[in-house]
Amino acid sequence: MKRVLIVLSAAVALTVVACGGASQPAGPKKLHFALIPKSLDIPVFEYANKGAQREAAELGNMEVTYRGPDHADDLKQKEIFESFIAQKVDGIAISVLNADLLTSTIDKAIDAGIPVVTWDSDAPNSKRIAFYGVDDFKSGQIMGEQVAKLLNGKGTVAFLTSLGADNLKHRLEGAKDAIAKYPGIKIIDTFDIKEDSTRCHELIETGTNRYPNLGAWISVGGWPVFTASNVEKVDPRKTKFVSFDTTGAALDLLRSGKIQVLLGQKYFGWGSESIRILNDYVAGRKPAQVIIDSGVDVVTKDNVDAYEALWKKMEAGGK
Amino acid sequence: MTRKLWHSRELSTVVILLLEILFFTWYLWPEAGRTHPFFNPENFLLVLKYSSIYGIAAVGAAIVIISGGIDLAPGAVIGLTTVITGYAFVEARWSLPASVLAGLMVGLSSGLVSSWLIVRVKLPPFIATLGVMGILRGLAFIITEARFYDLSAKLPPGWHVAGVSVEWTAPFVMVIAALVFQVLMTRFQWGRAVFAVGGNETAALFSGISVGRIKTSTYVIAGVLASVSGVVLAVVQGQGKADLASGYELDIIASAVVGGASLAGGRGSVIGAVLGALIFGVLRNALPQIPGATFYDRLIVGLAVIVIVVMDQVLVQRQKRNA
Repeated sequence: MKRVLIVLSAAVALTVVACGGASQPAGPKKLHFALIPKSLDIPVFEYANKGAQREAAELGNMEVTYRGPDHADDLKQKEIFESFIAQKVDGIAISVLNADLLTSTIDKAIDAGIPVVTWDSDAPNSKRIAFYGVDDFKSGQIMGEQVAKLLNGKGTVAFLTSLGADNLKHRLEGAKDAIAKYPGIKIIDTFDIKEDSTRCHELIETGTNRYPNLGAWISVGGWPVFTASNVEKVDPRKTKFVSFDTTGAALDLLRSGKIQVLLGQKYFGWGSESIRILNDYVAGRKPAQVIIDSGVDVVTKDNVDAYEALWKKMEAGGK
Repeated sequence: MTRKLWHSRELSTVVILLLEILFFTWYLWPEAGRTHPFFNPENFLLVLKYSSIYGIAAVGAAIVIISGGIDLAPGAVIGLTTVITGYAFVEARWSLPASVLAGLMVGLSSGLVSSWLIVRVKLPPFIATLGVMGILRGLAFIITEARFYDLSAKLPPGWHVAGVSVEWTAPFVMVIAALVFQVLMTRFQWGRAVFAVGGNETAALFSGISVGRIKTSTYVIAGVLASVSGVVLAVVQGQGKADLASGYELDIIASAVVGGASLAGGRGSVIGAVLGALIFGVLRNALPQIPGATFYDRLIVGLAVIVIVVMDQVLVQRQKRNA
């Protein structure tokens, strides 16, 4: 047994020595960027990956590695981030799960000469070179306004959110800010989804049972619209539904009337813009401003067809 | 002495770990001129740092499993420990040592409650610790109300203990815990009693071993070690948060089992458990670096558990034949 061990150790050492002497490549160095989502089990992030890969192919001579925790686990995301610092990639683009936990690590990357762009969810106190995503407070206000319009200024509202993420917190604050202007609208509860689509289904059902005359649901994240069954129990004649995100079953739900308003983010842009910013930075062009507002698409029954046509084009690799 | 401390179980686990490192070193070999994504010192330290969160608790898990029990609470103990340590240090403004002590109380009380339920109330360990797990995780959420305690803001930045960055205390603690408990388990009366209780409880009882006390000691040790892992996490990562280490109990148990602990009781090793944690640490670090493997992670880790345990058994059989 001891002999096996010695042979194995020697083999490890030999491989390292043998391969260490490989020749250096000619031509410009191929860039290696990392794209880290909050988790792999949230469908929208896959579009960010598509956008990033398209941009990488267009810019040429680069490789984008897409890696994230398989569910929203703060520590695992940090571990992945640190492993990219250890491999000395040329840049990292990340949707931050836990800003406070990651701030010092992002700064460590920057200090090591690795530019970091945050997308979708920011770490505002870090030294990241840019953030690309929606202005969350503003988009929350848009949701609040849309609901007020749907309810004609009076009724009850319940929120769906995931506690802990900064971007969702700001959307919630924005929505509450807009609703505060309508004294006829009362907020009855805020439910915590915990970034879990199964839990979302359950909360909408129990909430519907408890508040059968609820005026409207406002979901500051896209969990309810990922699958059609989540909002099955909601009766659109009594209860309106406004949700963030336009992926999964969202557009069909909009057409069938179960949902009235959707706010679409620039999903492909999360990836493509982040990679573009990183590539520019490496080439010596710094972003003009640190906070880059991507804007949102307000999708209703009236413009859903045009929106979908554009989406299909982007999914096929167009711009 | 060395032969006894370092017998075949651990050795076969070391072989598996080395094979794994060899495989990823070969498979992930980068284009010339680029840093090896896996085989570089900084990355190995990362593997060590993150594995130790599991490894420290896995030492305790191995002891419980060797005694014939099972503990599902360590993930929740780690979570609540970070919360209590954070609460004491940030909210109540206690000193760091006092806050750490408060955190360790989580594991101590969890171990005492679990063992009371198992030894006195005679609940099956699976059920008793499942209940304790839920209670602890619930308490963590009640205390934090979805907020978190930022310890890092109050700790000195770039903190060094005895010239070493505080970041590396975790692997250090893991190694110390493994060595101390390896000696206790193999060289002391208490350790032999733990093996005896796990091997055959009735026989242990008739040979005069206080089975209840031995069981209590194993759950208390497992609880305290999980708490140590939580304290290290709170101090090193700088946060006390209710959902930290969610679901880690299964990885911790798997580490102990891959390291040779038998769920039937009576067999196993604490050093093996730490090696098991490292085997998973390497998988967790290297697998996602293979392009396209991201979505296969879980499946491969599941297969690895089965393959490693089978390989381990084959190696041990061969060892027996050669002896």
